[in-house]
Amino acid sequence: MSGILRSAAAAGALLFAVQAAQAEVKIGFIGSLSSDTGLSTLRGAELAIEELNAAGGVLGGQQIKLIKADTGEDVTEGIKAYEYLAESEEVDFIVSGSIDDVSLGWLPRMVEYQIPTLDTWTSYIGIIDKLVEDYDSYKPYFMNIASDEALATLYIDFGKDVLADKMGWKSVVILQEDTAFGNAINGLVSEALAPNAGIEVVDTIVYDIATVDFAPLFNRAVDSGADFIYLISSVNSQVVSSQYVKLQVPMGMTGVNVAALGQEYWEDTGGAGGGISTLSPVPSVGFALDPKSQEFVDKYVAKYGDSRPKFPHFNGFNAYHGVKQAFAAAEEAGGFNNSSWVDAMQKQDLILEKDGQMWLRYGFWGRDEVEPRTGRTYPHNARFDITDPYDDGSPSMVVIQWYEDGTAAVVYPEKYATGEFQVPSWVKN
Amino acid sequence: MSQIIIQGLLLSGLYALIAVGFTLIFSIGRVLNLAYGAYLMIGGYVYYHFTQVLGMPQIAGILLAAVFGSVIGILKYRLIVKTLKGDHVAVEISTLILAVVIQAGIVLIFNDSSKILHPIVPGVWRIGGATVTFNILTAALASWAIIIGLYLFVRNTHIGRAMQAVSMDVKGAAISGVDPDRINLITWGISGALGAVAGVFFASYTQLNPSMWVAPLIIAVAVVIVGGIGSIIGSLIVAHIIGFMEIISTTLIAAELRGVFTMLLIIGVLVLRPRGLFGREEL
Repeated sequence: MSGILRSAAAAGALLFAVQAAQAEVKIGFIGSLSSDTGLSTLRGAELAIEELNAAGGVLGGQQIKLIKADTGEDVTEGIKAYEYLAESEEVDFIVSGSIDDVSLGWLPRMVEYQIPTLDTWTSYIGIIDKLVEDYDSYKPYFMNIASDEALATLYIDFGKDVLADKMGWKSVVILQEDTAFGNAINGLVSEALAPNAGIEVVDTIVYDIATVDFAPLFNRAVDSGADFIYLISSVNSQVVSSQYVKLQVPMGMTGVNVAALGQEYWEDTGGAGGGISTLSPVPSVGFALDPKSQEFVDKYVAKYGDSRPKFPHFNGFNAYHGVKQAFAAAEEAGGFNNSSWVDAMQKQDLILEKDGQMWLRYGFWGRDEVEPRTGRTYPHNARFDITDPYDDGSPSMVVIQWYEDGTAAVVYPEKYATGEFQVPSWVKN
Repeated sequence: MSQIIIQGLLLSGLYALIAVGFTLIFSIGRVLNLAYGAYLMIGGYVYYHFTQVLGMPQIAGILLAAVFGSVIGILKYRLIVKTLKGDHVAVEISTLILAVVIQAGIVLIFNDSSKILHPIVPGVWRIGGATVTFNILTAALASWAIIIGLYLFVRNTHIGRAMQAVSMDVKGAAISGVDPDRINLITWGISGALGAVAGVFFASYTQLNPSMWVAPLIIAVAVVIVGGIGSIIGSLIVAHIIGFMEIISTTLIAAELRGVFTMLLIIGVLVLRPRGLFGREEL
């Protein structure tokens, strides 16, 4: 009898061990599976998971399983996707590559389900404001890209240092798409950048996002007599960029050009994309990488280099480091148990150095920490730095420029610059 | 003012080329070919593939686009229009569905990201305060050449006169020895080729995108509704009205209202002059 009991106990122990070995942690990806943006986050997360699984798993040897939910960059689909991950798949953690509107759509579901969630693409300050106003409800939320207010503050410096002081530009015509994003950035340029830099806004041209013929708009911009064009384009930006080049518009153009953020920009414009500059979160195209970031890029290119996006966008880096930090926090907290995980996640701090100085930092602002320049708090937002010499965090943004030979460089701020801001060859400065 | 005149003329030339193939089908077959925009899309992508991906000469790309457009037009006539002959609603619905299917096929082959074509003729010319690309100038000149060629073909050749006869009275043409089926087949082939070539110029001026078929279709429909049942000259005139309206509204009023005035013109003509500005004209 005792022999039978011993055998049964051994069998039970073996079964338990097998179950433990087969146990898995489910995490969800929410974002578009057909956009460069969504795929960057997805692939960054996949690489992090591969490494964690290969290193023996997490939380006592469990393997991580990634569940994907496609938003198609649509708000309604985004809400359904979040519900699917929460209710059907019961994931422990969600990594998001959603655009602003989609994140705002599913955010109430996050509050309801209280699932730890990391956003890697949206930089909408309104979400951080929700944490400021109602911390307890929103505390499972983290955003590891600098919020747009921080991007804007540094961008105003670019306006003063480069556009006004270096280029000597005193007047601007704003060429803006007719979207909420366009209106928001227009407000920033008209009310903050221009007055701070002493630049006069002489005209604003608003166009429909379906516009495919920009010739009359560029002629109107030239007629305005402004020194340069400030472009605000997040939809089909390659069209307006390529027409600027094809028409050889005789004035400089800078601004926000979402298409120019990715390495595919040159191919997408058919090579007609030189001279375009835009603000970009970091690490951007043309950004000098530290050894750790370069290691990630090498792995990414080796695995995904045959399909778009062939090179990770900034949110791919965010997802890669963010997922690893989320699991490091889970190890410390004993799982994704809300409160203890939130505390542990807040303490995550990855400093990447280049040539002996801080280059990039993946950490978060504490709940009550005040950012000295803006004088406000940014709970759970990426720890950015908007003051030279940028030794307390990553810069909130850089300005990049595509040159006429198809190369790209960071042109601002000075510490990260790999090239000079310049007008295209057909523009007389 | 000079900018408006120059850009209006150039854009209108392109619009005339876009509309003329659609007008041809409507005039002869009495069919609203709602897949017409897809010819433009196919033409643009064929040109892109052969010239920018495979590196073939541009003229070969344009000819191949015309051949593909023509074949698609002929197949559409044989497999759909002829089969559904007489049922105009069924033809219109099926052509619209076909356009959506072609769009899905384009996404499958080329993915859904926009592509920019290299200029067919690179360079710019600044004249009277306006910037004119050699590309749009070439497109406008080619449009005029093609439209004049088509006009002469319709007026001076046996097939052209047969097309006119079918457009005026199918039964009468048949009694006179014209084979309406053959004439329709030729017309669909020509229309497909014209649409595809227009697509090359339109895409080189704007962009290549799987949903790019909608905007030219609206232009073509507007030309037919505003112009009347259709003639080549009538289409030319209305294409210029629409082209100039767009440039004037964009330059002097508000850029985001660019397409609105075209829509208002369509509604106004439908209400006040249902047969169109030029009524029923000879082809």
